[in-house]
Amino acid sequence: MVVFFVKRLLMSLLVVLVSTLLMYVLVDIAIDPLFDLRTSTSPNREELIARRVAELRLDEPVLVRYLDWLRGASGCLYGQCDLGSNWQSDQPVTALLGGAILTTIQLVTAATVLAIVLGAFVGIVSALRQYSGFDYSITFLSFLLYSLPVFWVAVLAKVFLAINFNNFLGRDSSTLGWLTVVVVSVFVGLTIMAALGGSRTRRLQVFGAAAGITLVLLVYLNLTNWYANPSIGIVIIALSSVGWAYVMTILSTGLRNRKALYSALTVAALGAVLWLPMLYVWQYARSAGILGWPLVLGLFVVALAVAAGVGYAWGGPDRGSSARTAVLTAIPVSMMLFVDRLLQSWQSYNDNIAIRGRPIATIGRVTPNLQGDFWIQTLDVATHLVLPTATLVLISFATYTRYTRASMLEVMNQDYIRTARSKGLTERTVVMRHAFRNALLPLASIVPVDIITLIGGAVITETVFGWFGMGRLFAASLADNVIDPVMAYILIVGILAVLANFVADLVYAVLDPRIRVAA
Amino acid sequence: MRNKRLFGIGAVVASLAMIGTACGAPAADEGDGGNSDQPTSLNLGWNQPFFSYNGDTSDGNATANNNIKYLMNKQFWYVDAEGNIQQDTSFGTYEQTSEDPLTVEYAVNEDMTWSDGVPVDAADLLLWWAAGSGQRNSVSTDDVRRDEATGAADPRENQVFFDTSSPGLELVTDLPELSEDGQGLTLVYDEPFADWQYDMSVSVPAHIVAMRALDIDDPAEAKQALIDAIVNNDEEALAPISQFWNDGFDYTSMPDDEGLALSNGAYVMTEFVENQYMTLEANEDYAGEQGASIDQLTVRWNEDPLAQVQALENGEIDMMSPQVTTDVAQAAEEVPNVAIETGVEGTYEHIDLVLNNGGPFDPESYGGDEETALAVRQAFLAAMPRNEIVERLIQPINAEAEVRNSFLRTQGTPGYDEIVAQNGTSEYAETDPQRAQQLLEEAGVDTPIDVRVMYAADNVRRANTFQLMQPALREAGFNLIDGQNPDWGSKLGDGTYDAVFFGWQSTTPAVSSDQAIFGTGGINNLNGYSNEEVDELFDQLVLTTEESEQVELQVQIEQQLVEDAIGLTIYQFPSANISNETRVTGLEPATLAPTMFYGFWNWEVPEG
Repeated sequence: MVVFFVKRLLMSLLVVLVSTLLMYVLVDIAIDPLFDLRTSTSPNREELIARRVAELRLDEPVLVRYLDWLRGASGCLYGQCDLGSNWQSDQPVTALLGGAILTTIQLVTAATVLAIVLGAFVGIVSALRQYSGFDYSITFLSFLLYSLPVFWVAVLAKVFLAINFNNFLGRDSSTLGWLTVVVVSVFVGLTIMAALGGSRTRRLQVFGAAAGITLVLLVYLNLTNWYANPSIGIVIIALSSVGWAYVMTILSTGLRNRKALYSALTVAALGAVLWLPMLYVWQYARSAGILGWPLVLGLFVVALAVAAGVGYAWGGPDRGSSARTAVLTAIPVSMMLFVDRLLQSWQSYNDNIAIRGRPIATIGRVTPNLQGDFWIQTLDVATHLVLPTATLVLISFATYTRYTRASMLEVMNQDYIRTARSKGLTERTVVMRHAFRNALLPLASIVPVDIITLIGGAVITETVFGWFGMGRLFAASLADNVIDPVMAYILIVGILAVLANFVADLVYAVLDPRIRVAA
Repeated sequence: MRNKRLFGIGAVVASLAMIGTACGAPAADEGDGGNSDQPTSLNLGWNQPFFSYNGDTSDGNATANNNIKYLMNKQFWYVDAEGNIQQDTSFGTYEQTSEDPLTVEYAVNEDMTWSDGVPVDAADLLLWWAAGSGQRNSVSTDDVRRDEATGAADPRENQVFFDTSSPGLELVTDLPELSEDGQGLTLVYDEPFADWQYDMSVSVPAHIVAMRALDIDDPAEAKQALIDAIVNNDEEALAPISQFWNDGFDYTSMPDDEGLALSNGAYVMTEFVENQYMTLEANEDYAGEQGASIDQLTVRWNEDPLAQVQALENGEIDMMSPQVTTDVAQAAEEVPNVAIETGVEGTYEHIDLVLNNGGPFDPESYGGDEETALAVRQAFLAAMPRNEIVERLIQPINAEAEVRNSFLRTQGTPGYDEIVAQNGTSEYAETDPQRAQQLLEEAGVDTPIDVRVMYAADNVRRANTFQLMQPALREAGFNLIDGQNPDWGSKLGDGTYDAVFFGWQSTTPAVSSDQAIFGTGGINNLNGYSNEEVDELFDQLVLTTEESEQVELQVQIEQQLVEDAIGLTIYQFPSANISNETRVTGLEPATLAPTMFYGFWNWEVPEG
């Protein structure tokens, strides 16, 4: 193991070293730092050129400059990072990187998580209904989305999800037409019917129930003017908490494990009961000035801990699975409580002078000059994240769907699945316990690499939506003929890529006992 | 077991009961979110973020900085929408008191102050003289040690180096005399200089430079120390001053030190978020004319013009002036309530014929026969489809676009019409392949003539220009060889091409810069043109300060240029000022810098 580790580390170092050298030379050939001066009509152009040549040491060989850069960069190993600076703005690259990395992480985190969860879920359902209408539709859809260019999706998203949606909100009555309501209900009914499958009668039942519920929900949203003034409210929180309790129990242990079910239901009830007190807690936190993400995340952790406690208290044949079910239920329930409070500030956000009734934004990370507390600012971040997140999810979700579908299909044909079935285990146990976990194994090697690619590669998304992250830093510096930020980008992405592959290998070995890391 | 089950059901019931009683939820409202006093505000779209408050250094001199400085900084002069230089007498006065030697007296009005309350006075002017004239530099450009890692100018301790240059102030080698009231100074030029009006700049507060560089707390004391240092050429004090002047004002987000973002003009910087936006608010202490008409301006940065158009439609941006293409213009036209003002900007496209590379336009190719080479050049220019290029590529964006016919003056600025009427370009008003053929025939040159044409790769408009030129010139007897090149900028003047088209940019109506393009051996003279008469006229022009005399000389220069057929201008780059007319009116974008930002004192937010 140690030998493997050291060997890999050395190899990785070499890869990074060679790639930086290669890139330094290539970038140096590609850019022309004197570009703007060449077409300058300034009478002292020659002097300006001489000055810049001296400043950037363009008269020295590229390898000498590379070695100098490398000396500064290797300082990072012992805490004296010097990655050079942007000669146009005189900013040290290390300062540039900080902001850019944060921006990119903010941009891609939600999108990555959503894409993985959604993609894995849809892929597995698709595999379980292999060669059904649902499977074919998903296959078609995922290939379609996969092949869409980002900038095009982004422009469309801006037109439909931002400009038109804001216009819709700005109307006197923001309600969906009847035709839309019916079409959406039928569509949802059909999708859920196809996904669940079963006999003809069962399909009809599922279709009726799903379409009916959607119809009622949409009519309810229309009647309460929900789109202009969205809220969740205690009724929906209570009802859906119970729903989540059942869903999580089914996925986690099956309804037969009554203790687990009761744990989940207790958590759901606790959520509903805590709704009102929590509103006071938020208010108190705001006046005490401690309202912020640390508090929110802290409370979330507390909620999960409490849920685990509830599970242990219920006990049952397996305390662990009760606790797990309770924690799984606590995640959506506490999120709903948070979102409910967030949406209570929606009206105030929407009427803010900086928003002027057009909440969904097409550019930037935040609305300039927006005055407001934590809730207003959080809503603002959310309205700016909606479009880029939707765009990134639409495009990257397809890959995960294909991967999970393929690996799920492979797993479902394994001998041990047949064995599990012949033992008389329920289909739920077979799918969730024996197949699902093994089907996720390949993802372990894809996800780390994908995350790195996202950090380095959302150039187009960042440009179109006006976020200045890593991708833009790279592209803009290249366009401005500034080499140092470009090299820092290459260095970081290179290190992360090597690291990601390394992590993927290790994770794989940890998850799958059949694989041994050998030197 | 049973008890626990009952407990569970009980919990559910209890929670449902809570729902029934949940009426007294605390109010979510947290005040009016700043809606109480409705200040007027505008969001402006721009492509590149601000990066230096000192727009006079060689690195900081960029449109991205200068346009914002235009909102914050008053100067003695400004260029109006028509391209005339105007004195801003509400800031100060300047006057030419003698022609020989050229002597100019500057005086700042007494009520002008920086936004920290310190008056603007002679110290600010003297600092710029010290920087721009280079008279106080103790090292030359070549000897400046550069920071090994960053490459930034890094003069050794006790060395003075201001990283800038001003062609005019370099002629003022004598220390300017300060006026007795300390509000102004007098520049005495060693030789006459046509563009002397553009020489004075008040970009950075002298007291801040001296306070930070010399570690002095009192502004008045600091100013005196600065004046003493410059007057006595005190290198020990000037070294840190020059260093601070070079890079102390470089920042890309709101600086902690308020002194680095002072204003002596209409707006003060209040918020600056890196790469996202900058908010400027009306400067309440500003006493001059052309003050803020809108309470709050926010400049938002986005380099994608289409994204800006969509942001305009979504109400996030109220006005913008992107680098406009046909796509952007079409997209903008479809936005409701949009007002588009098309016009021209300071850059102009032109074609150069190379006279010294042994190619088809070089007399050497015909055994030194000037006449033949001239005829070939004239034929090439006569067949150049300039009208078609403008019609097909520029008019879709700017319907009023016309072929530019002057080498020296920008379309729509004073003197342009006068020059065009006399410079002889009417000869090339129509594309005339017959005349071209005839010229070639008379000259006795074998056709087709191969011409290597270089232009910027990855530029659609230039690629299209070439596509239009190729067939038109083939008809006249020229075989154009496509020489598009991504490195065209560094290949300029290397003789590997026979003709090239690209843009020259002008930011002020100053007249002295053109000599570098057309004068013998000029640094921007990329086609080997040399004409003694032109050189002589330029020498005169640089010394001529009277506008009408300047135009007269320029007419003579252009007549020579056209006669020698060294090239032609093609078009002025189109610009479009795109705004939401329900949010802002009273716009008056200018052709030259600061384009969109010109006339901000007349902007209005419509009622309703």
